[in-house]
Amino acid sequence: MQSFQQDCVELALEKFRRGEISRRGLMAGLAALGAAAALPDPAQAQAAQRLVMVNWGGIANQGFGNNYGKPFEAANPGVTVVQDSTGPSAGRIRSMVESGRVTWDLCDSSATSAFLLGGMNLLNPVDYSVVDRANVIGPTFALEHGAAPYSFSSVLVYDSSKFATAPTGWADFWDLQKFPGTRLLRRDAAGALDAAQMALGKDIASLYPLDIRACLAKVREIRRSLVFWTSGSESEQFIRTGEAVMGQIWHTRAKVLEAESNGRFKFIWNQGILQPGIFVSPRGNPGGALAQRLLASMLANAAGQVELLKLMGNGPTNPNAAALVPEEFKKYNPTEPANARVQVAQDGRWWGQNYAQANADYIDMVTG
Amino acid sequence: MIRRQDAGWWLLILPAFLLMTAFYVAPIAQVLAISFTEPTPGLGNYERLFTSDSVQRVIITTLRICLITTALSLLLGYVLSYRIALSSPSAQRWWILAVLVPLWISVLVRAFAWVTLLRRQGLVNETLMATGVITEPLALVWNEFGIIVGMVHYMVPYAVLPMLASMREIDPRLLAAARGLGASRFTIFGRIFLPLSLPGLLAAGLLVFIFSLGFYITPALLGGGRTLMVAEWIGLQILDLLRWGLGTMMATMLVVAILTTLAVFARVVDLRRIFGGGA
Repeated sequence: MQSFQQDCVELALEKFRRGEISRRGLMAGLAALGAAAALPDPAQAQAAQRLVMVNWGGIANQGFGNNYGKPFEAANPGVTVVQDSTGPSAGRIRSMVESGRVTWDLCDSSATSAFLLGGMNLLNPVDYSVVDRANVIGPTFALEHGAAPYSFSSVLVYDSSKFATAPTGWADFWDLQKFPGTRLLRRDAAGALDAAQMALGKDIASLYPLDIRACLAKVREIRRSLVFWTSGSESEQFIRTGEAVMGQIWHTRAKVLEAESNGRFKFIWNQGILQPGIFVSPRGNPGGALAQRLLASMLANAAGQVELLKLMGNGPTNPNAAALVPEEFKKYNPTEPANARVQVAQDGRWWGQNYAQANADYIDMVTG
Repeated sequence: MIRRQDAGWWLLILPAFLLMTAFYVAPIAQVLAISFTEPTPGLGNYERLFTSDSVQRVIITTLRICLITTALSLLLGYVLSYRIALSSPSAQRWWILAVLVPLWISVLVRAFAWVTLLRRQGLVNETLMATGVITEPLALVWNEFGIIVGMVHYMVPYAVLPMLASMREIDPRLLAAARGLGASRFTIFGRIFLPLSLPGLLAAGLLVFIFSLGFYITPALLGGGRTLMVAEWIGLQILDLLRWGLGTMMATMLVVAILTTLAVFARVVDLRRIFGGGA
């Protein structure tokens, strides 16, 4: 609803346009109303048509901007998509929605956060009349409160100069006799416990639900030989500097290590934990339903997803994308059919229900 | 009764007081109040102080690291201040510069520098292995040892400054007089210098301990994910696990711990003198 003050501003502007008052007079009048800042300028005229995407920094600004934002801007004249790299942690999204001053439209989040925040009614449900479920390769990529235009995987990386034979899966990760040396895990239950469950020998086709207690005990077994990472760059550093000889890290970092070390550090797709890069939309987002259309376009744009794979290594999730991936990038694409086949799709729903408790227990065990 | 001119002085600090209340105290109180309302109203979060192993472990780890850091920083800081206080004025300037320079370097840079020095293939381990002192690299970082090294390095300047200030106030003629009366060097130190520098020592201890309690970056970088101190634990609860009640409970405890420490020390020493007010 328009306030009185806004009406005054409007009137003054009309007078200015008709030449009844000078520019100086207009500004003085607006200043008196405390409304000079509310003067509509070209940038603000578009404000209603502006969408804010939030990522975690690095080259994501460029990657997401060029491959998600630009195509949408081109298809929808008058809309601008801006990138923000503040890092949309679940806690930040919660405080933003609860304070009632939401400035974000689409956030690069995760399946667990989508379930966690969605369960607290802090997210817009994905409108599947706008977003097409057929645009993703599997059900774990299209959730109730978020959808994934890219994927990533937690893979086993190892220092090939340290071992005569190559490890082939998580059972080898736990085998300190055959593969001696420090291990590297993320300080996060999601990923680590999935691997532990595989090391326990459970059939990969029916990996979930995980037996949390048994998995935690399995990690505890090798606790003295573990170091933990909390950020991607840290994980790379641990392997590069020889702090750990085997680790579970994101495939994007594993690729960098392999390329930089001329193959000394290798990684395997086998038993990798394939995860969706879920984008969520905070409830009460400024761009409203337009955010759903942006999400839909991100999922539909196979070519853009392939460009992102080339730039940052994020795996495409559009079923048509695999055919567009150039030969030299197939090896590093987590959703390349040959690679996806040997991995496990992480069950975001199970994790969403169990994450808070399992992760607290995991951290207790790690720090104990 | 407040006299008229006193009331005028109080009015002068009123804007600052209101500003602090509105933008600092009120939001903090609001955040701390969450600890009583989430997930259910009541004292459930505080009950965890007595029932949860993980909460207790974080507190004990934090206290242990803070006490060791404080003790080591005081020891190193005292030796340094003693040396500085007894040197010539021109030498003092260089000494103080040497103490202050690390203070101006970003805590992040210093933590990474320690990583490069202490890691398995770092300078320290490589040197020790090359000289044959050890055959396997020592675990110098990604554990409590690494955290304490990093924190002591950060805290020593904070220990030196209050102690140096208090040592400089000691009248050198007292030491000369004692020597003239035939006291040994140990007696002079133990019965004159140490007691006179005690307020500075306590102030430094207080400052370092309180600083250490809330340390975030150094433990996060040098702890290798395995050692959690209170600040990082709170961040984890609030940002990742969304257990705001538990996180703010610990934040409240941190504030309470700091205020209690200050209150206890206020009974022992004159805080106003230590922090330079109302001399």
